[in-house]
Amino acid sequence: MSGPTPALAPIRPARHARFLDDGQLADLRSATLEILEEVGVHCPSTAVRALYAEHGALVDEAREVVRFPADLVTRAMARAPRGYVMGARDPAFDLVLDGTALYVATDGCGIEVLDPASGGRRPSTAADVAMAARLADALPAVGFYWPMLSAQDHPRTAPLHELLASYPNTVKHVQTETVMGARPARYAVEMARVLAGDDATLRARPPLSALICTIAPLAQDDAGMEGALVLAEAGIPVGFMSMATAGSTGPATIPGTVVAGDAEIVAALTLVQLVHPGAPVFHSLMTGMMDPRTGAYLATPWENEIAYVVGVELAHAWGVPTLAGVYGTDARTPGWQAAAEAAVALTLCALAGAETGSGMGLLESCTLFTPEQLVLDADLHERVRCTLAAFDTSREALALDVIKAVGPKGHFLYERHTRDELRRRRFSPLTGQVAFDGSPIDPLDAARAAAARILAEHRPEPLDDAQARELARIVAAADREADAVAAGAGR
Amino acid sequence: MMAGPDGAGGTSGAGAPAANVPSATPPLEPIRSHRRMQFLDDEQLDRLQDATLRILEEVGVRFPSEAALEILGGHGASVDKATQVVRFPRDLVRRALSTAPRYFTMAARDPRFDLHLEDGVSYFTTDGCGVATIDFDTRQERPSRKSDVAEMARIADYLPSIGFMWPTVSAQDHGSTSQLHEIDAAFNNTVKHFQAMVMGAEPARRAIEMATVLAGSRDALRARPVLSNLICSIAPLAQDHDGIEAALVFAEAGIPVGLLAMPTLGTTAPATSAGALVVGDAEVISGVVLLQLAYPGSPVFHSIMKAWADPRNGNYVGYSIDSRARYAPVEMAHRWGLSSLGACFGTDSPAAGTWQAGVEVALDPLLGGLASPEIVTGMGLDRTYTVLYPEAIILDDDIYQRARHALLAEDVSDETLALDVIADVGPGGHFLAEQHTRTHMRTSLKRGLTHELAPGGGYRDPLEVARERVAWIRANHHPEPLETAKAAELTRILAAADRDLGAPG
Repeated sequence: MSGPTPALAPIRPARHARFLDDGQLADLRSATLEILEEVGVHCPSTAVRALYAEHGALVDEAREVVRFPADLVTRAMARAPRGYVMGARDPAFDLVLDGTALYVATDGCGIEVLDPASGGRRPSTAADVAMAARLADALPAVGFYWPMLSAQDHPRTAPLHELLASYPNTVKHVQTETVMGARPARYAVEMARVLAGDDATLRARPPLSALICTIAPLAQDDAGMEGALVLAEAGIPVGFMSMATAGSTGPATIPGTVVAGDAEIVAALTLVQLVHPGAPVFHSLMTGMMDPRTGAYLATPWENEIAYVVGVELAHAWGVPTLAGVYGTDARTPGWQAAAEAAVALTLCALAGAETGSGMGLLESCTLFTPEQLVLDADLHERVRCTLAAFDTSREALALDVIKAVGPKGHFLYERHTRDELRRRRFSPLTGQVAFDGSPIDPLDAARAAAARILAEHRPEPLDDAQARELARIVAAADREADAVAAGAGR
Repeated sequence: MMAGPDGAGGTSGAGAPAANVPSATPPLEPIRSHRRMQFLDDEQLDRLQDATLRILEEVGVRFPSEAALEILGGHGASVDKATQVVRFPRDLVRRALSTAPRYFTMAARDPRFDLHLEDGVSYFTTDGCGVATIDFDTRQERPSRKSDVAEMARIADYLPSIGFMWPTVSAQDHGSTSQLHEIDAAFNNTVKHFQAMVMGAEPARRAIEMATVLAGSRDALRARPVLSNLICSIAPLAQDHDGIEAALVFAEAGIPVGLLAMPTLGTTAPATSAGALVVGDAEVISGVVLLQLAYPGSPVFHSIMKAWADPRNGNYVGYSIDSRARYAPVEMAHRWGLSSLGACFGTDSPAAGTWQAGVEVALDPLLGGLASPEIVTGMGLDRTYTVLYPEAIILDDDIYQRARHALLAEDVSDETLALDVIADVGPGGHFLAEQHTRTHMRTSLKRGLTHELAPGGGYRDPLEVARERVAWIRANHHPEPLETAKAAELTRILAAADRDLGAPG
């Protein structure tokens, strides 16, 4: 343990719960297999189709559709590890995905920053990715870092610049949700190798993981899949996320949308396991509902909360870890809505045994960053963590001797037990705060002040100079290549 | 769920009923805990229970009531007349608790709204009992009054999330008979069950008289009690004189009585959660024992609401960062074989609709639903259940509905899996034009407060929507009125009570 980064405080529920029964999960799984076998998935990448065909999937080249015999899927999925380690720059922050703890990441990938001082908005840059990483590094609730914002000042190689801005500013694990395509993936692997030091460490404790989106309904992105294979080959954990939307890109029922999204994910996971058996992978189902009046994707209607926990249980039914959809909010400003919408999915997914989740700190459906929202979301995380922790019924906690000493109508204030224990009770640093003049402090102001204080004071253990130079060199090379490709395309 | 005032299913505009024409009370939507769980294990619950029994046996509870001391002494409890402290042999506690019914009925003016308490179903109430109101029309803060209770009764009547009602605020314009006036305001403005907080033997007798008017007779009241009553103990380990004497009067009449302990960690209870809960549990169980010895089989329920003394400034904190108090007391009650009044909602936020008002209560109905107390308080107050903002109950209702939906059984069937539709649409297609989509989209998206469309695109501010819904309910929802003769009878009883028990304030 080194440096000033506080230890992680993941949610470790004393009890886990199951929300679907075995029969329901079996029905969902067999529906996914039926879709994969009879309908298939659109796969626009010639190279990926060739790999599918080579391993026994049924490829319709004319329609670019791949169908899957059920036993091919189940055999491939059986090779996926149920748990593994996601490494961190500082090993004290490694994440062991064994089902005992839920580690929650920041949200991503936003495109605008809301300046708390001016209230103005501006497009995000690499410097914002760095700033948000530093803030996330200081919050024990943040288990790992998704680059929260797009490095829009580097339009051609933004995903790599997001990694370059993240690593020096947090000692925690970084998960990219923007690296797409074989070429960028190779650069990302090189960067991860620099942090790991060698290939064996890169495989044992990968400091990078990646999330690749599928396209609903039942389609893959060629760059996404080609990049995924490069990352998986190097031992970088790769997950696939479906955002199928009930009513537009999925049927207007949650189970229908769930199985359509699950089929996309499982088709992609199957590819990785066929080509790189045993590669660490994860499953991420973040379905939404369409607003029937506007067509918009909604993450948080009342009826949709259960979809997130179904996603967790389905991942486990397939034998892989999950990245759960938690903290989604359609709110536009920090306040009641963002809190009211975030709590249920976070609690249910933690109870269901989700290993990882993401979503802290962005507003307006994952597009807008403001530092205080990350601090507010960390406070909610702490509430859920404390609430699901084991209840202490030890002799010391029962305090019978103290109760006997005080007796009916007495007072506990002056007891030594009270002084010792009261210090251990957890209170929010944001609520119930009082200014010097006795006036109450608005929790939103307290959050802004906390974020400002962290950004002024917190400096994570710096990256080793040689590693920093090497990362910069890799990204510079990627920039040159991207410029050359663009220039070539321009001619 | 709001069937009327929202844009989606609305009866607003031309379809709205005219003022003062009786409108139907929507059916209740309790939380049916398809997915309930036990957070504490049996061994922990037994340790807690054993600690309570040891406190009752070795420390005892103070009963400042001659009637109570006589009953307890007569049944074998050890009574110290000088200190009024009663100690309870274990087997006496066990014997007394064995006569307490596990479930009972909390009846309503309209029998369709009777609550037949049962496993796995949680009925929520309004919060209570606040002392200040943000005026419904002027929006200025002022002391609460009887008309506020009447307004809240109408709103509670309209909301399917509200299974029964508490006096949301105190009828402070009626001085020492305020609790009876709260009953009158509720009986006249909601067809749902009312849970009062009447203290003292004589006020309790008047309250029973009022409930008898609704029920028709004392026997009918016993069979279908339209009133229940909540009694607070005084931490640590003491009963309140007026409270316990009222409890005896209610129990004799068959009115369900709740025993509520409110231990505060660090001041009136040990600074550990387990210690505070066993202090509270000992208070509650001592009251239950009294009532069961006096009136075996009388309906009783158990409740512990835990709070904290903030070590930073000594302030009373209803919400620490630890919400285990939403489920631990419920599981303790159930371990005793008693129905539980769970504690949810009632944020410390000074105002409605703030981040704090959301974050503190957002877990509550979900945790409540998972632990499954039979009845649960209470929606609609801010500032540690002291201030009524009219829109607060609508905001809390939204959080309630989110939890209720999350705990519903998921329908995994051929129709919902829609495999034929998925095959028809195929990779890269679109579901918008499918008949299956049109059929299910109508029912699948219920618009909560956060997804009301704004005229210019996007969504409206939920706080503004909540205020508008309150205004709509006030203008449009008029529950079936109480029969004129019964209303007049209540007025007569109240006048007599005002005369006999103290002048109006």
